[in-house]
Amino acid sequence: MLTERERERYSRQILLFGEEGQERLKQAKVFIAGAGGLGCPIALYLAVAGVGEIRLVDRDVVDRTNLNRQVLHWEKDLGIPKVRSAEEKLREVNPDVRIEALEATINEANVHDLAAGADLIVDAMDNFPTRYLLNREAIRSGVPLIHGAIRGFDGQVTTIVPGRTACLECIFPEAPPAEVFPVVGTTPGFIGLIQANEAIKYITGSGDLLAGRLLLWDGLAAKLETFAVERRSGCPACSREVCQ
Amino acid sequence: MKVRVKAFARFREILGSDLLVDLPDGATMAAVLAALRDRAGDNGDAIFDETGALRAHVILMRNGRRVKRDDPDPLADGDEIAIFPPVAGG
Repeated sequence: MLTERERERYSRQILLFGEEGQERLKQAKVFIAGAGGLGCPIALYLAVAGVGEIRLVDRDVVDRTNLNRQVLHWEKDLGIPKVRSAEEKLREVNPDVRIEALEATINEANVHDLAAGADLIVDAMDNFPTRYLLNREAIRSGVPLIHGAIRGFDGQVTTIVPGRTACLECIFPEAPPAEVFPVVGTTPGFIGLIQANEAIKYITGSGDLLAGRLLLWDGLAAKLETFAVERRSGCPACSREVCQ
Repeated sequence: MKVRVKAFARFREILGSDLLVDLPDGATMAAVLAALRDRAGDNGDAIFDETGALRAHVILMRNGRRVKRDDPDPLADGDEIAIFPPVAGG
């Protein structure tokens, strides 16, 4: 049940999806993998939307080079773990949601436990090897994965629904080479908010997801395009399921 | 026949964002890639490897659907090809 304070806090969005939708948000548990450029806006907007439980995982401490884009981390936070810095702001912005902040490197051994109980996994990572782990865990546990990635003024988003849509390895069978990527803060801000929007739609059952569609954002041209993406037979991550 | 090629992200700076490529009838994706290799010239390292093959992570789409680089189907006049590298930052 929503409290009186919650009814008031969320009144403008209750106009959109009703108290039932708000109750769904309150009951939802979202695992956000990464508290950097994407993770900060995603966590902030899901917290103020009233997602009941947010599990935020990151291994890094705040560095000055993060501050042009990782908007939950401020000058005063330099040197402290990103999850602690983010947790402090999120608790203050909305005391009615539970924040579980875990300082950890996501790996093959812990990804299952980190995702346990989540209704949704949001990919806010900065590398493909960890994204592939999240993708495999999403398939194993049947939990949707909202993928986002950025570089410079460019970004991409897709929503992966295991068993129904192309998985991350269907779409991107080969990881792009690792690099120190250039980025302006508006790009992860924009892409992160599309991911948060997908999460809110999924949880409340609103609208059409980016399921089976890859969205590309070209910030320099200010253009968005979406492409259909299909499951790939023989995909090492999800094809066993395709054959069933 | 003419096919339209749209390049995204870093490839846009190398190839231009939107170009028309003239091809003989019956040409396949391989002919498009050869034309793009010529156009990119010395700036094509991000797209093609030292043997001239498309780098493994590059994505190709034909008329909004993912296709393989060695797709044997002949292209049609007016086809739209998209080429882009996945981005990886976060």
